[in-house]
Amino acid sequence: MLLARRNLLRDRTRFALSAAGVAVSVALILLLAGYRAGVYGQSTAYLANTPGTVVVAERGIRDFLGTSSKLPPGTEDVVRRTSGVDRVIPIVSQFVIFERHGRKDGFFLVGYDPARGGGPWRLVEGREPGADDELVIDRTTARQHGIAIGDRVQLLDREAAIVGFSDETTFWAGSIAFARITTLEALLRAPGLRSFLLVSPAPDVAAEALRDRLAGGAPVEVLLTSEVIANDRRLLARVFDVPIGLMVAIAFVVGVLVVGLVIYTATIERRREYGTIKAIGARNRTLYRVVAVQALIAAATGAIVGIGLAVGAGAALTALRPQFLVALEPAVILGVLASSLVMAIVAALIPARMIARLEPAEVFRG
Amino acid sequence: MTALLLARRNLARNRVRFLASVGGVALALSLTLALDAIYAGVANQLTTYIDRAGADVWVSQAGVRNLHMVASWLPDAVTERVRTVDGVVEATPILYSTDTIAAGEERAVAYVIGLPAGASMGGPRDIVEGSGRVGPGEVIVDRGFARRAGVAIGASVTVLGRPARVVGLSEGTASLLNSVAFVPFDDFRAMRGGAPVVSFVLVRVAGNASPDGVATAIARAVPGVSALTRAGFSGEERQLVMDMSADVISIMNVVGSAVALAVVALTVYVGTLARRHEYGVLKALGARNRVLYLVVLAQAFMSVAIGFVVGLGFTSLLAVVVRWAGLPLELSIGAASLARVGLVAGTIAGLAAILPIRQVSGLDAAIVFRRGAAA
Repeated sequence: MLLARRNLLRDRTRFALSAAGVAVSVALILLLAGYRAGVYGQSTAYLANTPGTVVVAERGIRDFLGTSSKLPPGTEDVVRRTSGVDRVIPIVSQFVIFERHGRKDGFFLVGYDPARGGGPWRLVEGREPGADDELVIDRTTARQHGIAIGDRVQLLDREAAIVGFSDETTFWAGSIAFARITTLEALLRAPGLRSFLLVSPAPDVAAEALRDRLAGGAPVEVLLTSEVIANDRRLLARVFDVPIGLMVAIAFVVGVLVVGLVIYTATIERRREYGTIKAIGARNRTLYRVVAVQALIAAATGAIVGIGLAVGAGAALTALRPQFLVALEPAVILGVLASSLVMAIVAALIPARMIARLEPAEVFRG
Repeated sequence: MTALLLARRNLARNRVRFLASVGGVALALSLTLALDAIYAGVANQLTTYIDRAGADVWVSQAGVRNLHMVASWLPDAVTERVRTVDGVVEATPILYSTDTIAAGEERAVAYVIGLPAGASMGGPRDIVEGSGRVGPGEVIVDRGFARRAGVAIGASVTVLGRPARVVGLSEGTASLLNSVAFVPFDDFRAMRGGAPVVSFVLVRVAGNASPDGVATAIARAVPGVSALTRAGFSGEERQLVMDMSADVISIMNVVGSAVALAVVALTVYVGTLARRHEYGVLKALGARNRVLYLVVLAQAFMSVAIGFVVGLGFTSLLAVVVRWAGLPLELSIGAASLARVGLVAGTIAGLAAILPIRQVSGLDAAIVFRRGAAA
């Protein structure tokens, strides 16, 4: 242990650079994992924060974000009359592109009836929409586009006044905006349109039982809210997981390279000393341990610095760009710490092989 | 020249270190190159339907300048008004919605297009199996979706909330984000409650008319619409992907550059450290610091340049593998992206050389006379 520490710390700049390399790799892995978790969390925020444990959608549609659902006419009445139903929130949802200052942003537009729910769960300024040309938008989006309460914005072929700001309503593709359900009906030229029904069961009825009851024979899709959230996550995973996985793999390999390079160089430099130790009877196992401990120290130091870096960078990123939530989960941090140990072990392989081949007699050569 | 030769020898002397250095830089630069390529690929894929629909001008609800995920609903009468505009040879209304297409447990987000009978625009371009025309209760689906869902011609799928029989398989219009399905116009309208609306009017212009001029004339003559040329509409779609991904790309560029910087700085530093005895000899023989700086700088630039080329090769290989594996992903490496990453790489090389240069400048020429100084 002592030998390993001395070997490693002999050149502090080199050690600092190696720790920095690992730290950047670890921070990158953590930021990517945190970004992915944040994307998932933000994208499912509407359903997670709106009452209703059962979702009724167009037949074939099992997610909330990706598609435009349209329920058959009369579905709302049928659902409301079903026994075991306590509350029904009808909503119309549609993704629209909002353009201002030459920049495009996505609005996931939710049309709701303020008397029945389904609107913003954290209204931080202003009020809910009271007329068909009024809109509540996300506070961060408003800040980015320089929009104040009372401003008028273009919404497809009509204008709307901003009457309130909501919070916790940004996500990777834009933000959620709220309008009256009749606004959406007019905008989409579809009177009576309903996209989803968010249903709460009566106190003595289980959500699963109500789901099965509503699904019986009706030409609609009925799912638990938790199932729809899981489907939305799966949908996002198809888009995000391949690129993020690729980048995590690259970051891991870079981490291994950095640790490996430092330990390799440190081992080459001390080749004669290793030979001396071998010549006086030390076994290969002891020398492997010296190399492995060096790799572990470098990787662990880098990992700890990297975690700090990720926490700081994540907080800074979320503060500067609130639409990017970096959610660092303890389980992921533990996983990254474990992966840094794997980094160290893989990185120690080549130097260990070199030591195994080292001739003790080398120490006596000029 | 001597500096270059020395730098090359220094780099090549220890192959493991050289490989680690070049590999590290290559991987780090690949981070940004691959991410750029993925987003550019998504943008390319997203515009495939627009590019191949055959329309010179796209007419949509005012304010709608994209296709992906959006809704556009125009009164039926708009099609007739568009037909009367000078320069318009043909106007085809289509219905459009982003919906889910399902077969068994397989589901895909799909652009569902409602096509009028005999439409010469807006239909599937490459039919690889079955028919290219849809009748009542029928649908044409993307081959990728059919393969994943295990459905063949004649099978039933759910689209727009109702069952439909697959009569054709198309190719070349799906993307990482969505599949494409074609149904009859009347079916689509009935499934949407029969409201007298259309989503887009696809316009073919006369041979002697310019699409720009016709688009402007349509926007002026027909109230409540946006009219864009195919290139303009396609460009708006690409812009959407780029605007939505710009922040992510910037973040990854910064992180990728930081990783590359750490790797290059480390390898050049370690390389200089290992050769400090030789640098001492050069100094003792009268070499100026400037020459030694050049050697160090050349090493850094060589590492980064080779790493950049390897990284580019790696990203290109990745693009081939992704295509070969049949993943619904396209990696498109653009000249602008290459120039940007190349510039970043050059800056990294310069920064990475700072520490070793300081190390060399502080080197005492007398080191050569001490024993055990060399590694």
